[in-house]
Amino acid sequence: MEQNFIIAGFGGQGVLFAGKVLANAFMFLGNNVTWYPCYGAEMRGGTVNCEIVISDEEVSSVHKENADYIIALNQLSFDRFLSKVKSGGMMFSNSTLVDENKLRTDIEYLSAPMTQIANESGYSKLANMVALGALTNIIPALNENVLAKAIQKVLEGGKEKFFESNLEALKLGIGCLALA
Amino acid sequence: MSEKVLIKGNYAIAQAALNAGLECYFGYPITPQTEIGEYLSGEMYKRNLAYVCAESELAAINMVLGASSTGAKTMTTSSSCAVALMQEALSYACADEVPVVLVNVMRAGPGLGYIYPAQGDYYQAVKGGGNGDYKMTVLAPSTVQECIDLTYRAFYLAHKYRNPTMLLADGLLGQMMEPAEFGEYPYPEVDNSSWALTGAKGRDGRAIYSLGACEEKQIKRIYHLFEKYKQIAENETDWEELNTEDADILLVAFGSMTRNIKAAMNELRKEGIKAGILRPITLSPFPTQRINEISKQVNNIIVVEMNMGQMVNDVKIAVEGNAKVDLINRPVGQWLSVEEIITGVKKVLENSYASV
Repeated sequence: MEQNFIIAGFGGQGVLFAGKVLANAFMFLGNNVTWYPCYGAEMRGGTVNCEIVISDEEVSSVHKENADYIIALNQLSFDRFLSKVKSGGMMFSNSTLVDENKLRTDIEYLSAPMTQIANESGYSKLANMVALGALTNIIPALNENVLAKAIQKVLEGGKEKFFESNLEALKLGIGCLALA
Repeated sequence: MSEKVLIKGNYAIAQAALNAGLECYFGYPITPQTEIGEYLSGEMYKRNLAYVCAESELAAINMVLGASSTGAKTMTTSSSCAVALMQEALSYACADEVPVVLVNVMRAGPGLGYIYPAQGDYYQAVKGGGNGDYKMTVLAPSTVQECIDLTYRAFYLAHKYRNPTMLLADGLLGQMMEPAEFGEYPYPEVDNSSWALTGAKGRDGRAIYSLGACEEKQIKRIYHLFEKYKQIAENETDWEELNTEDADILLVAFGSMTRNIKAAMNELRKEGIKAGILRPITLSPFPTQRINEISKQVNNIIVVEMNMGQMVNDVKIAVEGNAKVDLINRPVGQWLSVEEIITGVKKVLENSYASV
């Protein structure tokens, strides 16, 4: 079976990084996985998104029309991707920056104050890791260990010094209950 | 290197080229393949290999032409509208029989087009935009793993047959990350001492040029090239086949679109529609003979591609009217979804039943 996730937010919120961590984590868990970024004239302050498709068979298409899970880190992404949630799927948003305009009744809504949690703990750039942490409470297969291993992997090659702070932010996310 | 790593298609191609023994890279940045040059600029510097960010794609391919004539393992990488600039040199490379490796990570055309993935350069790759009778060898990967495997093969085939070999990927493959293993470069090194321009000290001088100079010489050259292309076709034609034994309909796609037709095939089979798949791995040489064989056994052949219908014509040539050939396509943008392909296939089947 195939499942897909779209993570979306401002450029600079660590959307692609979070996507890479999530993709690595799913790979470590034994899934086939494909990560695909939007690419184009995106820049800091603009919007950016990436898609992660996991499957127990060969991954078919990426760049799909809709997604099982959408993780929206800002309002623009929430508004843009609301129509892209599969019927029965989930919109998981960053309540610090998103007013949930629940125009659809056929999907599930969850949110957590990702940016607020990150800011209050001094990790103002790591709302993305708070989001992934909170996701462990939504996707049972994900856990701290595998995500920590994934963070380590993505930071390889000169960025290892950011591991501790990312891990701390991840833990804060794990401790945060996503609210309907 | 045998551990699975999550890696972007572009980086996978770059690292595979290094593993294959790349000695000289000449290129000019263009989305969606810029990461290849970016990666190699650092890695080749570390390894003390030749890396030139050329002033244009035209310059890059001609630098490759020169460096290849010394027998060195050379490569350039680019995308669609910039590969268009290289066509003259590719015709020369075929005539000169130099082992050029070229990667095209396709974007949308025609003209400057856009950076989104597409498959519109099928004709450009397999028919070519250069002058005269020539054929490049063209390989089409469908996964990041194949970006590695077929980059290895591209270097081997280019040198084995002294023929320009292209890896025809697309923006989707270039930009996506997937788990993949590099392994070791699996091919033997090809001895080029009999022809390479390495300095004439201690031997007679050599020249590599494509000027025919007289009719007889030129005819001989072309027959020689086509004898070689025949050998390449006999030895190297490659394709992937799934569920063709009992198939009533055959789906044909190349590159990353194959992934979607595989998923579509599985769904169609669940509904009792016996679909099979043939995916050319070498677009040139094309698996004409095998498609012809299968065409005698199936009722419908449906080609799925992200262009206005290019490979479908090579399929029609192969089919020789044995089966009905249809096209499901879109020129650019969102890849045809599994659902769209299934709907398209059913529509084709309805129409062909209606016409019986």
